[in-house]
Amino acid sequence: MKFIKKIKDINSNLSLRSFTVFYRNFMVWLRYYKPGIIGDVLEPLLYLAALGFGIGKFIHRIDGISYVEYIVPGIIASSSMYAAAFESTFGAYTRMVTNGIYEAILLTPVGIEDIVLGEIFWGTAKAFMSGIAVLMVGIIFGWVISPLALFIPIIILLNGILFSSLSLLITSFSPSYDFFSYYFTIAISTMFLFSGVFYPVSSLPYFVKYFVYLMPLYYTAHIMRLLDEGKLYPVIFVYFIIIILFILLFFYSSVFFIRKRVIK
Amino acid sequence: MQNSIVAVKNLTKAFNNFIALNNITFNIKSGDFFGLIGPNGAGKSTLLKILYNLVIPTSGSVYIKGLNLKYDYKKIKYNLGIVPQDDNLDEDLNVFENMIIYSMYFGIPRKESMRRSDELLNFFNLTEKKYSKAANLSGGLRRRLMIARALINNPTLIMLDEPTAGLDPEYRQNIWNKLQLLNKNGVTVLMSTHYMEEAERLFKNMIILNHGNIVLSGGISDITLNKKSLEEIFLDIAKK
Repeated sequence: MKFIKKIKDINSNLSLRSFTVFYRNFMVWLRYYKPGIIGDVLEPLLYLAALGFGIGKFIHRIDGISYVEYIVPGIIASSSMYAAAFESTFGAYTRMVTNGIYEAILLTPVGIEDIVLGEIFWGTAKAFMSGIAVLMVGIIFGWVISPLALFIPIIILLNGILFSSLSLLITSFSPSYDFFSYYFTIAISTMFLFSGVFYPVSSLPYFVKYFVYLMPLYYTAHIMRLLDEGKLYPVIFVYFIIIILFILLFFYSSVFFIRKRVIK
Repeated sequence: MQNSIVAVKNLTKAFNNFIALNNITFNIKSGDFFGLIGPNGAGKSTLLKILYNLVIPTSGSVYIKGLNLKYDYKKIKYNLGIVPQDDNLDEDLNVFENMIIYSMYFGIPRKESMRRSDELLNFFNLTEKKYSKAANLSGGLRRRLMIARALINNPTLIMLDEPTAGLDPEYRQNIWNKLQLLNKNGVTVLMSTHYMEEAERLFKNMIILNHGNIVLSGGISDITLNKKSLEEIFLDIAKK
């Protein structure tokens, strides 16, 4: 019951003021957008080109499509994951701890729930930019197979929300920037390598697959791939529900723990 | 409690085994220039942080303008201007943008926020620095901007945590004059300091804190009884 009350309290404190937090981050980003775009947009395109053209020469077909076509949805998912994760760890930590921006905002009627939601919107916007850039390149070069891929942006948004929420949760515990090395090495890189971005998860040993099912990226990458290949299977709905559950878990936990950290 | 803009009752804050505030009670009348004095670690900043809801009290109650801080903190903050001890300006934005962004948090319409920002920057002699990056301002200018920013919502109560700490006498004098002018115009001021000269010049009423307890309260004449200076009393308390 206490748990439900806490969730109700969080819901009742959410407001449109969260967009002011988003807008503040956007204003600051406009100052430094050039290096930011290189990281968020150019890097995944380099991955796509290097792996698609390089390794693609040796791996001719996976599931009946070319290797570069196969990795496009995976790169969309992983690049949006990285963009959200970087913004909601290093960026959010700087605002929360180093620059005292959260404290400044909390001196106004904007609450901690709005700050977290605004941060998630912002992390999602960065994720969207990154994911859309890869999708556009895929469309331009004819690597996107089905018109159903036009629904991929919805999954990019969900992926952004998911990884922004998870990353904010990690940030709420972080004592320093160095702490994020654990998160990026143990969680993010593991997901990047094992969630089916570069090869089908079915090729992994049986016991490893169980771990893959715990990885949120697996679900978003898999839906993106099914949409890209024009496969409107019922599993999409199941995975969609799993993604929503991950989001709810990470969002409420991050509000709870960021409040605990900022308000003594 | 009637006519009180701030009513603090039996307020206690404990951090694990350390009692930062011990069952303190006081009221601040509307229009007052109220001071919090005490040596380092007396509990001044903890008290102020409770009043602006960055620290949750262990027990006791706080009412601001008749509203319970525990439940109505968002409503309360619409009428509150806060200047914390540490600078938390948006370093990446310029002076004017700092004002505009802050006004957005209060939901002030754009045109109105631009008008108020210009007015406040002018009041605090910051107009020349309007387009300078906050990161490039000197300590004194940053404090003035912090106070200007805190007034963007036309608050009826402003709380300042050692706003002149570390400033040279010229900047300190300038801030005193501005705060006195605000108070004359009806703004209630609650301010902490450990400069006795500042307390004697500005405060109409005050409390002296030591080890989380109120050791003295009232106006200057109530506290000094016209015998000792405030500085002597402060030093006596600090020794205990």
